[in-house]
Amino acid sequence: MLNPSQLFVRSLSGALIFQHPNPQRSMSNKLTVLTPGLVNALKRLAGIALALACWEAIRGLDLVDPRDLPSFAAIFRSAMVGLAGGELAAALLATLGSWAPGLLVAAVAGVAVGTALAMLPRLELATRPLIEFLRPIPSVALIPVALLVFGIGLQMQLFMIAFASIWPVLFSTKTGVEGIDPRFLETGRVLHLSRSARLFRIVLPNALPLIATGLRTASAIALVVAITVEMLTGGAGVGFYIENVRVNGLITEMWAAIFATGVLGYLINALFMTIERVALPWSPENHDS
Amino acid sequence: MDARQPILFVDHLSKAFGSAIAPILKGVTFRQEPGQFVAVVGPSGCGKTTLLRCIASLMQPDEGAVLHYGRRFGDPPEWLSIVFQDYNRSLFPWLSVSKNVAFGLRELDKDEKAERVNQALRAVGLEHASDLYPWQLSGGMQQRCALARSIVAQPKLLLLDEPFASVDAQTRIDLQDMVMDICQRMSLSTLLVTHDIEEAVFMADKVVVLSTRPAHVVEEIAVDLPRPRDQLTTKETPEFLRLRHRVYMLVRQQVQKITLEHLPEKV
Amino acid sequence: MIPNRAHIAPFAWQIGVTAGLLVLWQWVAVMHPAPYLPPLQNIALGYFRLLHGDLFWSAIVPSLYRLAVAFLAAVLLGSLAGIAIGSLRALEPWVRPVFEYLRFIPAVAILPASLLLFGATDKMRIFVIAFGSIFPVLLAAIDGARRVEPMLLDVARVNRLKVPKLLFCVVLPAALPSIFAGVRIALSIALVMMVISELIAADDGLGFYILRNQRLFLTANVYAGVLVIGTIGFGLTFALLSLEKRVLAWHRGWRGLLDPKGA
Repeated sequence: MLNPSQLFVRSLSGALIFQHPNPQRSMSNKLTVLTPGLVNALKRLAGIALALACWEAIRGLDLVDPRDLPSFAAIFRSAMVGLAGGELAAALLATLGSWAPGLLVAAVAGVAVGTALAMLPRLELATRPLIEFLRPIPSVALIPVALLVFGIGLQMQLFMIAFASIWPVLFSTKTGVEGIDPRFLETGRVLHLSRSARLFRIVLPNALPLIATGLRTASAIALVVAITVEMLTGGAGVGFYIENVRVNGLITEMWAAIFATGVLGYLINALFMTIERVALPWSPENHDS
Repeated sequence: MDARQPILFVDHLSKAFGSAIAPILKGVTFRQEPGQFVAVVGPSGCGKTTLLRCIASLMQPDEGAVLHYGRRFGDPPEWLSIVFQDYNRSLFPWLSVSKNVAFGLRELDKDEKAERVNQALRAVGLEHASDLYPWQLSGGMQQRCALARSIVAQPKLLLLDEPFASVDAQTRIDLQDMVMDICQRMSLSTLLVTHDIEEAVFMADKVVVLSTRPAHVVEEIAVDLPRPRDQLTTKETPEFLRLRHRVYMLVRQQVQKITLEHLPEKV
Repeated sequence: MIPNRAHIAPFAWQIGVTAGLLVLWQWVAVMHPAPYLPPLQNIALGYFRLLHGDLFWSAIVPSLYRLAVAFLAAVLLGSLAGIAIGSLRALEPWVRPVFEYLRFIPAVAILPASLLLFGATDKMRIFVIAFGSIFPVLLAAIDGARRVEPMLLDVARVNRLKVPKLLFCVVLPAALPSIFAGVRIALSIALVMMVISELIAADDGLGFYILRNQRLFLTANVYAGVLVIGTIGFGLTFALLSLEKRVLAWHRGWRGLLDPKGA
């Protein structure tokens, strides 16, 4: 016969670890207000609260100089002030001001080159050694080269952003175009579509989900490179801002800027995901679970 | 453990899932004596697999109990083994055949482990495949590997959840003979869940027929056919045909009940 | 055996174009010298100088050391924590939003904070590299652990496996293909963060080397340094892929078996 503690341990392990797809629930009625969705949302909020509590706990532990770890309330306040027309907002906008054009260039060029490589095997072959040679080099390692060629300035920053972001777009476009089901192309030929019509109305739309994923990856890379260049060479932008406030001892502002940059990164990703979902509802990523 | 008690006593077992209106199992009751081969049949979807999971203590019933030798067990008892239907989901793909089989053994030294594994592999005819991986085996061989894993620890009770449903007819016949042979030689008590009526009557000492949802035991039919049983001759005897007919009639009645009755709104 | 004509042509094509580019570079470098287009032999010289002696110890070794420590820490911590979190279904909604936010902080933005807390030390650089590379592994491990075939867990339960054994002998191998995918991404991120940390806040290492040579307008050395970084990237990626091939041999066979069935 099981004693209560055995029952408890067994139910704990059974319920906590590897809850079977059909969870064991009694036939009696549960409190219907506590829907699974609501419970989940509460758990998420609780998790965030717990993380903030950890932050405060680390402050209290006195491992580092307490001035280096301001309270979360102070950071949040500083972020609000900075964003409401303060320097932080200006810095973030400046970063976006080079991020966006750089990404746009990378997107257009990446799709164009990726498509060309997929459709012209001779070209792909000729450029393969060059591409495979450049591939393992982290793009940021070329910042000093860009400095040699362009000097400090917006041009150099744009070049670096575009150069770094083009690769994911290029490769995903190439894969997307190459991977087209030949039957789709045959359908196009049977419908008497010209070569360019087949490209723009069949091949590219088919490759869009992959291109979209590559673009989302590129957007994150572009942000990293933009901030890196700013931190290294100065100028407007949140990268320079974060380092600048640190050097000037404005620690709360530094943490606020880091926090806001994280939000920016999150929003950029969310933006691209939303665009994907809205523009490509037919994509397999958007409807299979 | 009281050896006079049945090795398995399913006592008024009931089980429902979440907010389903009709429970899946309601008041299922039957006994299995040590050394007995029991087959459980019923219409498709009547909850046979759920019943087996409750017996294996992978699930807890809502009402009623599963007793072994008169006792309840919280976790699966160590002398209980189970073979699932989907062999390609129950074998560990990263382990070779011999390592998969050895998984059923825990605290033994290396030599004894190796000897037991070889014994089990020989019993199922896979001694030449010990270093192969599951993806390199055919469906029948994979199921034999799963079977070897379940017998390597010398269990007392073997549960089989529609083990031959996913293999072709020829392999199924070979596996049936193999399972009966192993159960005989190892004096196992065996509980076979199947939708194949002929298989149930051919292999079992007792056939338990379940109703449609909510499932309860409609009838227990004793199968007194002599052992060892033969795929050809036993299946031609009048007694076999009579039993098969009886079981089939019972199941068919249940199936007709579904089509005649108004379907429940929430399943 | 005479090689097939069809096999030679593509190969010759590749070599021809590459050689042509190199010749073009060399011609321009010699005929119209520009600060950012050094002759190839200077680059080659710089490359080989980096591979031994003082430069090897002051540039390559520190970089590799920081990369190795940070990457291994990120992989170990990320996969173990991820497996634990992925297995405890109840825990997942608690930690998911926090991780989903942290992973989108551009790791470079953490660098000044790290500098503040740890000073200009190796600990700081290792922290930055690890911060950037842990999230792909962590999230891949959580995902892999969540998707373990439930039937395998049933088999483990019937065999009365205790929790630590369950995690190591069933969940970890089952999640390994997913984890490796995350590790591949983590490696490229780690390389990037290594370079970034050395460009911005270091006094040794390859990133520092190329920046310093850029400031001194010793262009050939800059290219040489970039090539060395590329070589390291190539070598490590190759090593990782080889390891993955060996460790996940069973997975490729398994997937090959499932795919034709249209799974």
